[in-house]
Amino acid sequence: MLELDDLRVHIGGHEIVHIEHLSLEPGSRLGLVGESGSGKTMTAKAVAGLLPDEARVSGSVRFNGRELLAMNDRQMSEVRGRKIGFVFQDPARSLNPMMRVGRQVSEAIRVHSELPRAAVARKVVALLEQVQLPDPPTLMRRYPHQLSGGQQQRVMIAAAIAADPEFLIADEPTTALDVTVQEEILRLLISLSEQRGMGVLFVSHDLGVIRFVCDRVAVIYGGAVVETGRTEDVIAAPRHRYTAALLAANPGMPRDDNFRAFIGQRLHTIPGSVPPVGTFPSGCRFRNRCVAASEACTAMPGVLDAGDGHRYSCWNPVEGL
Amino acid sequence: MALVEVENMWFHYPRARLGAGVEGWTLQDISVQVQAQSTLGIVGESGSGKSTLIRVMCGLLRHQRGVVRFDGRDIAGLSGRDAVDRRQRNQMVFQNPRRSLDPRMTIRRSLSEPVRALLDRSPDDTEMTGWLERVGLGPDVLPRFPHQLSGGQLQRIGIARSLSVNPTILYADEPVSALDVSVQAQVLNLLMDLREQLGLTLVMVSHDLGVVSRMCAEIVVMRHGAVIESGPTEVVLGAPATDYTRALLHAARAASLEREGAEG
Ligand SMILES: Nc1ncnc2c1ncn2[C@@H]1O[C@H](COP(=O)(O)OP(=O)(O)OP(=O)(O)O)[C@@H](O)[C@H]1O
Ligand SMILES: Nc1ncnc2c1ncn2[C@@H]1O[C@H](COP(=O)(O)OP(=O)(O)O)[C@@H](O)[C@H]1O
Ligand code: SF4
Ligand SMILES: [Mg+2]
Ligand SMILES: [Mg+2]
Repeated sequence: MLELDDLRVHIGGHEIVHIEHLSLEPGSRLGLVGESGSGKTMTAKAVAGLLPDEARVSGSVRFNGRELLAMNDRQMSEVRGRKIGFVFQDPARSLNPMMRVGRQVSEAIRVHSELPRAAVARKVVALLEQVQLPDPPTLMRRYPHQLSGGQQQRVMIAAAIAADPEFLIADEPTTALDVTVQEEILRLLISLSEQRGMGVLFVSHDLGVIRFVCDRVAVIYGGAVVETGRTEDVIAAPRHRYTAALLAANPGMPRDDNFRAFIGQRLHTIPGSVPPVGTFPSGCRFRNRCVAASEACTAMPGVLDAGDGHRYSCWNPVEGL
Repeated sequence: MALVEVENMWFHYPRARLGAGVEGWTLQDISVQVQAQSTLGIVGESGSGKSTLIRVMCGLLRHQRGVVRFDGRDIAGLSGRDAVDRRQRNQMVFQNPRRSLDPRMTIRRSLSEPVRALLDRSPDDTEMTGWLERVGLGPDVLPRFPHQLSGGQLQRIGIARSLSVNPTILYADEPVSALDVSVQAQVLNLLMDLREQLGLTLVMVSHDLGVVSRMCAEIVVMRHGAVIESGPTEVVLGAPATDYTRALLHAARAASLEREGAEG
């Protein structure tokens, strides 16, 4: 359904994204995980054709066999509205502050279908119910600032699935939601994907959420995939040192209900921070932060195969368990 | 005597008939106590009133019924020097560090603002460097603007700014949910360290039960504008008394990587 090959994004002379290959089947869900600044959003935007004007893109993004990178703006916006839905990272910036939220969802429906007014209104309510918004008839008359953060995020999700897209790109869609609502929304996305074959590209920095939603995961650092495979395999036996560090930093939940032992437990941190674009080290991009870096890491590691599509690029991988 | 006492407090936003909760009340009959130097976590459904509650407790919103006492005194009755004093001792850290700092102001200016407003003096760079050191930043950030800094750096500045007026109690509304896991880990460790060093009381809203149960010894569970459960974290989460809290725990586990408390 979706295939990326040698996708590169340059901004201001720097290569921000370089994805050698990623693909996604209909009805399947691929997670992109990494710290902020690792290139997840830029990758998602490259697929959506929504990169800023100053960006240059090369390579190939095929959607159902059609090359998206070759499309003009009009063709692309046609594909976007009808076939590909999006949820962006920041609700405050994606919702129109001057427009009642119900209208924002109904416009998303109307742009791509000719439903009569009353049917549109019913569909808006149904969508807002699907995303677990309480009392849709009341809330739909409010402006974004009159909703809580989590309610705004759900309005965005409703707008994104309003046009029954074949493919959904969701960039950190549940960061402002409490866990029970998050679970409902994630289940909704999973069921849309299973029942209607909707493919999902799911962006998150949280491997716990990725594990819940996605059958496959790609770990991104410095704009490149450093490890990919079935989510369970990558989480159970990470090979790349960056994946292992991300897993260790996750706050998690106490096992065996041992809340007493959990209080005050420091978290594992990753040394340093993601460098700004253009200042990643040569060779393995993670090597200035990696606890296992060695001389070898000054050269770019090749791609190694751990079986079942589990691939990683690391000179000193975590030993298999 | 508790540091903060909320008794049978009711709150609604202007234009109450927006449909939130019982007869339009966003918060209904809330009673909460916060002991000095304790850590209290507030969890609950999105829209349940967590942010509203800590804004009332912190004095940023004015409740309509009931009493909120800080250090034994009804906050509604404070004026003049007493009101400024209370503001100084109650500080808030917000969820989105990028939106809580003015994009047109240098960090120097934003950082010095609470001291200028509340203590009526202008801190110098040496003093501000000291505040920045506490949160692991150098003085090089002072002349910069928010867009030149990362989310984690901005959240540290938000924390440094709140601590600049030596508060007694720090309210944090989802302080790490806009940050990625590795920066989250750094900021949470920082909050734990500062709390110990400065003897701060911490009230924290978070939708992440893993975060709350690491940071907070007491917990309040909210639903539909009311407190449905409260007590020590190990009791409320270890042996939940309501179906809602059980559902919360179930959902938290479903989307988490379970982790041994003492691991690593
Ligand atoms: N300015 C406002 N005017 C009217 N209603 C508001 C306003 N801000 C919030 N509300 C409503 O008050 C209720 C409580 O909101 P609050 O922001 O306290 O929720 P919350 O528990 O912090 O949720 P979240 O986890 O999503 O941040 C919600 O129903 C919300 O829609
Ligand atoms: N419009 C832009 N111009 C220049 N650099 C950008 C732009 N947007 C993002 N970047 C940079 O590209 C890198 C990847 O960003 P992004 O894809 O947003 O990361 P993520 O979504 O993983 O947090 C970062 O270093 C970021 O600062
Ligand atoms: S290649 Fe070297 S520096 Fe990179 S993650 Fe592996 S061990 Fe660390
Ligand atoms: Mg992003
Ligand atoms: Mg809130």
